[in-house]
Amino acid sequence: MTGFVTIFHREISRFSKVLVQTVVTPLISSFLYLLIFGVSLGEQMQDHRGVSYISFLIPGLMMMGLINNSFQNSSSSIVSSKFSGDLEDLRVAPVTDHEIIWAMSLGSLVRGTIVGVITYLVGAAFMVFQQGEWLPIVHPVATLFFVIVSGLTFGMLGISIAFWATTFDQLSAFSAFILLPLTYLGGVFLSIEHLHPFWQMISKANPLLYLINGLRYGVLGVSDVNPWTAAVISLLGFMVFYGLARWSLKRGSFQRW
Amino acid sequence: MANLPLEIINLRKSYGPGMVEAVKGISFDVQPGEIFGLLGPNGAGKTTIISTLTTLEKPTSGQVKIFGVEVVKDPMFTKRQIGVVHQEVINSGFFSVEEILNFQSGYYGLRRNRERIHFLLHKLALFEHKEKKVKQLSGGMKRRLMIAKALVHNPKLLLLDEPTAGVDIGLREDLWKFVLELRAEGMSILLTTHYLEEAQELCGRVGIINYGSLVALGNTQQIIRQYTQKKVCLTLTQPFDVKSGYSFKNKDLDYEFLIPQNLPLGEFLDEVGIPLQLVRDVSIDEGDLAEAFLKLVNKAELQEVPS
Repeated sequence: MTGFVTIFHREISRFSKVLVQTVVTPLISSFLYLLIFGVSLGEQMQDHRGVSYISFLIPGLMMMGLINNSFQNSSSSIVSSKFSGDLEDLRVAPVTDHEIIWAMSLGSLVRGTIVGVITYLVGAAFMVFQQGEWLPIVHPVATLFFVIVSGLTFGMLGISIAFWATTFDQLSAFSAFILLPLTYLGGVFLSIEHLHPFWQMISKANPLLYLINGLRYGVLGVSDVNPWTAAVISLLGFMVFYGLARWSLKRGSFQRW
Repeated sequence: MANLPLEIINLRKSYGPGMVEAVKGISFDVQPGEIFGLLGPNGAGKTTIISTLTTLEKPTSGQVKIFGVEVVKDPMFTKRQIGVVHQEVINSGFFSVEEILNFQSGYYGLRRNRERIHFLLHKLALFEHKEKKVKQLSGGMKRRLMIAKALVHNPKLLLLDEPTAGVDIGLREDLWKFVLELRAEGMSILLTTHYLEEAQELCGRVGIINYGSLVALGNTQQIIRQYTQKKVCLTLTQPFDVKSGYSFKNKDLDYEFLIPQNLPLGEFLDEVGIPLQLVRDVSIDEGDLAEAFLKLVNKAELQEVPS
């Protein structure tokens, strides 16, 4: 248990030392997204199921920030440890794979949640400024559920990819070619109801659609998919990536680059 | 009989699709409170052996036991018994020296370990540098930090994988003193090194490996005696026509003979027939581990080369 607490503490200390990346970057990027998409373009968009475009956008951006930061936190922690060589310390020390996975993915969740909360606060401030009203959270329990499951899942995905990566390039290729398109096509910026039925069907194969819409249900009470379906798929994803992370720790490399 | 700190029985390790054997059936042990030297040229298999002790590698076959427990069967137990100083310096860019040692303690289940950490920082002359990041430390300080990290949990068996590589002679001697102190406190130590004088100075027993096989194992002094010759240099008062079965070199009045280690000097002088009154000066070089090592490694290389 002490091993778990230590790794978790180490993860929190690590991202606390790069506060600009952790806090300022998401603050600026969510401000820009909301300004351009929410305010400028949003005025030309119709309300979706009774919610304004800017409020529709906020949970999408929250989930995007949460997913990216959770993934990046664990993956960059492992990759930088591979680079400096201290990942081998973890293999040599008496800590279990479970401790490593839970501690690292909880660290990812904390960072992802900070970014998600910052995005929410910036979004709510925009709402107050534009519409004169605060953005309340309609289903707090559902919101909490989707935040926790998504943060942990993407922390675990980050662990899995980082243990297999042999160069920085491979890691950024995964982010750029897989994670980013799936996020953008998962309904962050628009409802899939506006798509052609064929693309709607394709979109439903994208697991991120369920996380994004799950959180949108939690915050706004509206969703393109059934929230229970979203919850079940999220939990399945969590289990799959936990297994993948365990496999990566067994088969992947702790060795120095 | 009490369990040995380390016991390796017929260890084999193969790599890659062709299953190239890096370690070919090696057996040796480390006795309680001894410093055992594992020596060999680059690529001989030393680091592979260390990696099987630390679970970074799994043996292909054979047994590795730490205090009687097989590493593959109960790695959590065996990991707690050992401290490892890796061959390469680890950087840990984000954290200070003290933070690194705190985290390292936590990995070993020690949440509050301030006393031990401060003791090690003082002992290894790092206390004034405890707030610094690794990249701000000198090469010698980095090495000392690696040793402090390996000792935070007070291990019973210390694995030193070339701890003095690239370290200047002054610091190397300080580290030797520290290693001898650790042994005096009862720690058992497995040392791999390229510096044969280091092994000769510190290790009661050594094992020499080459191409993954053990080519010599035993008491350091016995190995030196077995695989080296005594060099006897005689300075005479006048030239003498030497008729010796032993190889010798002659320059002016200096005669240098290579004779077996067990041949007493008196008998040798009788054999070569040099009268004692012609001898102005004598010096004897007993041979060292480097000479024995080269002989063993070269012999193994000749056997390895296919005809």
